[in-house]
Amino acid sequence: MPVLSVRDLSIDYRTRRGPVHAVRDVTFDLEQGETLAIIGESGSGKTTLAVGLIRLSPRSARVTSGEIRYDDGKRAFDVLSLESERLRRFRWADCAMVFQAALSAFNPVITIWEQFLDTGRAHGMGDKHKIHDRTRELLDLVHLDPDRVLRSYAHELSGGMRQRVLIAMALLLDPRIVILDEPTTALDILTQRAIIDLLRDLRAKLGFATIFISHDLSIAAELADRMLTMYAGRVVERAGVDDLFYRPRHPYSVGLMRAVPRVSGALGSVASIPGSPPDLIRLPRGCSYYPRCPFHVEQCLEQDPPLLAVDTPDHEAACIRWEAVAAALGSDAEAPVAEKLA
Amino acid sequence: MATVTPAQGELQIRTFQRSPLSRVRGNLGGLWGRPITQALLKAVLTIYVTSTITFGLIRLMPGSPVEIKIDELMQQSQMSYADAAAAASGLFDINLNAPIHEQYFEYLGNLVHGNLGNSFLSRGTSVMSIILSVLPWTLFAVGTGLLLSFVIGIGLGLIAAYRRNSLLDHTVSTGGSIISSVPGYLVALLIVLIFGIQLRWIPITQMRGAFSPGIAPGFTPEFIGDILFHASLPITVFFLTHIGLWILSMRSATLASLEEDHVTVARARGLTDGRITTAYVGRNAVLPLVSQFAIAAGAVVGGAVIIEQIFVYQGVGLRLVSSVNQRDYPLMQGIILMTTVCVIIANLIADLLYSRLDPRIGRAGGATGK
Repeated sequence: MPVLSVRDLSIDYRTRRGPVHAVRDVTFDLEQGETLAIIGESGSGKTTLAVGLIRLSPRSARVTSGEIRYDDGKRAFDVLSLESERLRRFRWADCAMVFQAALSAFNPVITIWEQFLDTGRAHGMGDKHKIHDRTRELLDLVHLDPDRVLRSYAHELSGGMRQRVLIAMALLLDPRIVILDEPTTALDILTQRAIIDLLRDLRAKLGFATIFISHDLSIAAELADRMLTMYAGRVVERAGVDDLFYRPRHPYSVGLMRAVPRVSGALGSVASIPGSPPDLIRLPRGCSYYPRCPFHVEQCLEQDPPLLAVDTPDHEAACIRWEAVAAALGSDAEAPVAEKLA
Repeated sequence: MATVTPAQGELQIRTFQRSPLSRVRGNLGGLWGRPITQALLKAVLTIYVTSTITFGLIRLMPGSPVEIKIDELMQQSQMSYADAAAAASGLFDINLNAPIHEQYFEYLGNLVHGNLGNSFLSRGTSVMSIILSVLPWTLFAVGTGLLLSFVIGIGLGLIAAYRRNSLLDHTVSTGGSIISSVPGYLVALLIVLIFGIQLRWIPITQMRGAFSPGIAPGFTPEFIGDILFHASLPITVFFLTHIGLWILSMRSATLASLEEDHVTVARARGLTDGRITTAYVGRNAVLPLVSQFAIAAGAVVGGAVIIEQIFVYQGVGLRLVSSVNQRDYPLMQGIILMTTVCVIIANLIADLLYSRLDPRIGRAGGATGK
């Protein structure tokens, strides 16, 4: 039973030139306790989707269709139909989010403890002592000294510490889902490592489901059970993590893998994807990846291909040429990449 | 050139290290590091400079108090110039014929002892007692007007920002910018001319002074009502001339604050709208306005002169104008000095308040930046 089922979700941004179709017909399930990674380049709609899931999109955004069904076994509802008070209670208590901008995620003029307290109180967590005890537990869990951190203001903590504090705060209400939007992007590589280890550890201890948004494939590969590749607002491939890394079937997924430097690869083996993503206001007819795709044929222009089952039923790709992709990759072409990434 | 033996050199170094001067400097260093010490030292320096400039400027004014008194006596009692001069010279405590630097050092000496001297014209009355009798009224009117405009202005600015581009927003911000561009004395004159003289809605003449004659001062409802009645017109002017500033500043500060990442995160955390508006958006938006408030408070105490003159409100400004007309040197010096002190105190309070409100500013030792 999935804890979150998203069906045909589309989100537009209103602009002077017309609506930007930032997320188009996205469908996926998030199972209890699993980690789903969403990968794609900047502008592919990852963050719009993540923010849309808790309906925190900017005012110019509008959900044009779809359903976001939350079901934790006790309660089930469509997030899109919640009225404002129930939506407020849903946020953080059921679905918390660790932001990309964790560095500026805290109110600069009140202490970290007050912000934990605010969070607990907003969700009726009871008395101060209970919130305090839980906060200390969580800060211990993220390897921070509660005495020091709780008295501090955000500017007195380092970037890595702030990220840990935000993770601890995300777990305060024991949510079933934690959305991590590029949680390591602003951190140095050693701190990234520590945060990734921490997240894996916490997930094992607390058993929440995770939606992990990243453009860093190596981190996604490490944490994810299943992966979605997004391109131009659509999900173009959906697969288990091994399938996606060893047997990608959408040319864009292949392109993403080839754009990552590999430890054992020959010099010059890194290849960027030529061209740039399409204009999301005036989408071209047919497959939106067509102009950049090395596998394209005339037929690709006829329609935007739906997700098709490839290889196994749990692996889908939105490409009519997936067999050609499979043939081109052969049996081992990308295997070394995946090995070094994992 | 004497050669220094190693032993002597060592001795010199040790003496230097132990010199009492360096120890004193060390202790001062600790005190100096505290923001309050720096602020107080700056305040003392400002007071000294202001009083010196005032002292000099006043004595550059044409016509001394003696001459003005002589003119007055000649006109009033038909005295001859010599008689008038003799009578006038007996009226003044200070010898204005003394060299200017002697007068200056005497003035400074008295100032250090907290003595502002006696008024020339009200003999035997100390400047301090005159100031204490008028200053509270000005501070009351200015303070009430400013505080009201601040509280209501930031409220309106906040609402306007939350309802950006609504009819309310357009009304409030357009109104704010129009009203803030009209100078205070014009507003005061318009009130007197339109509501006082043409329409006769306001009993202008009864409202003169700080309170009605014959009413007993004290914390009685009658007295408080009466002083509010008398102060209401100056308060209205101070209120109207400043509310636009607060509306516009708060509106733009709130708009910037709403864009902050931490506000988005607060929403994601499911905090109530009320809590987000007060502790997250409002609290951060109001920070830059605190220092603006202190600057305005200083400017208004100085600018109250004309407003008090128009309404004949018995405050510092009215008294300053009469002391200037009569060349009452000590009183002028005293009032200008007191105005300076008020501004300094306002700024000091703003600084301290600011460092309380924004933890990023100077926790230990001056402004550390963000």
